[in-house]
Amino acid sequence: MIKAENIHKSFGDLNVLKGIDMEVHRGEVVVLIGVSGSGKSTFLRCLNFLELTNEGVITIDGKQVNQKKDNLVKIRAEVGMVFQHFNLFPHKTVLENVMEAPLMVKKLNKVEVEKMAHGILKKVGLSEKAAVYPNKLSGGQKQRVAIARALAMEPKVLLFDEPTSALDPELVGEVLQVMQNLAEEGMTMIVVTHEMKFAKNVADRVIMLDEGVIIEDSDPETFFNHSTNERTLQFLEMVDV
Amino acid sequence: MPEFILTFVDVFKNTYKGFLQAGLLTIEITAIAVVIGMILGVIFALMKISNSKILQTIANIYITLIRGTPLIVQIMFLYFGITSIIVLDNFWAGAIALGVHNGAYIAEIFRGSIQGIDKGQREASLALGMNSSLTMRRIVFPQALRRAIPPLGNQFIITLKDSSLVYVIGVSELFGLANRVAASNFKQFETFLVVGLYYLILVLIFSALLKWYENKLDVDK
Repeated sequence: MIKAENIHKSFGDLNVLKGIDMEVHRGEVVVLIGVSGSGKSTFLRCLNFLELTNEGVITIDGKQVNQKKDNLVKIRAEVGMVFQHFNLFPHKTVLENVMEAPLMVKKLNKVEVEKMAHGILKKVGLSEKAAVYPNKLSGGQKQRVAIARALAMEPKVLLFDEPTSALDPELVGEVLQVMQNLAEEGMTMIVVTHEMKFAKNVADRVIMLDEGVIIEDSDPETFFNHSTNERTLQFLEMVDV
Repeated sequence: MPEFILTFVDVFKNTYKGFLQAGLLTIEITAIAVVIGMILGVIFALMKISNSKILQTIANIYITLIRGTPLIVQIMFLYFGITSIIVLDNFWAGAIALGVHNGAYIAEIFRGSIQGIDKGQREASLALGMNSSLTMRRIVFPQALRRAIPPLGNQFIITLKDSSLVYVIGVSELFGLANRVAASNFKQFETFLVVGLYYLILVLIFSALLKWYENKLDVDK
């Protein structure tokens, strides 16, 4: 479904990604973890080309992506992204946030898009907030709208960049619940997160990044209980599992 | 009652019809200059933040020339420059000069407000598959425009007052008329006091409208 080969990325002299290989299959939920600065967010941003790689190949549905501007616009429409800080459009209502891309990018019929948007908002439990502006929402609600906005483009894969890191602790659960529902519906997801419970319960695979390379790629059971990798064990000791 | 107040009232009574006409002209020149300034402002702001070195340079030259020379010189320059090529009355020459002048300042206002929008907004838009121009038009610029309203309002007030300078090419707007009136009634002090009052009233009305509009936007959001 989405395959990354030998991805290198540097910012000036700083080599952030040093040759990453990863393949994610349809319907798989992959959690990326690692200490801050390990390159997991950068890698995620390479997958929808918000960062262009210095080297390496990304293949989506068997087609190699060329990093030309026009092409990237098309590819991004198929790869959804949810950000740590939500990045909702503050000048648009919740409903307009969700409708914007299907209307402008896919140029779909407005009546149908509105119907679909209401359906998606219902799915994330925010039907009654459709007419409200984002600044009237809690963090958890904002993030659920952001997920709805990404879903409205019917992406092939959904990328989550620390979706709960900016939330108050009591609001984390509602966002994770929405993500878990999506996973159960068969959405292909790549999630950068520090929520180990989510990794344990929802992920099909857990990938550990360290200093720009993948040091472990295994199922959650193996990762959390039977890892032999020294860095992984160190990391698991630091975080609250 | 002091003498000058009586003279003042007298001047006021004798001239208000003319000044109402002239005031209308001032408002028209200002409105045209604001429209031209906004259009040029958006264009040159976008050029300045574009990736093209050529467009950036053109925008920089325009802004530097406008900011580096007095408005009154620009008005004369444009008036004699344009009217040597095409037939244009002094009203339009003045309005266009004021508009071109305005454009440079408005470009800087827009540039600042566009660059002040969180880059996450642009990223979120791109991530949804919107291209750069959709992202600017639908997401970044509408937010930048809201943020630009207070400095823009300030710039419009400056324009209203600066419109007095087109008197040098013979436009009978408020200040131009005041000059003519004072030259014929020899009551310079009272006449300029009257015209000052007219400007003040226009500025106060405009400020009130602006305040109302800003509040309205705040409520909307």
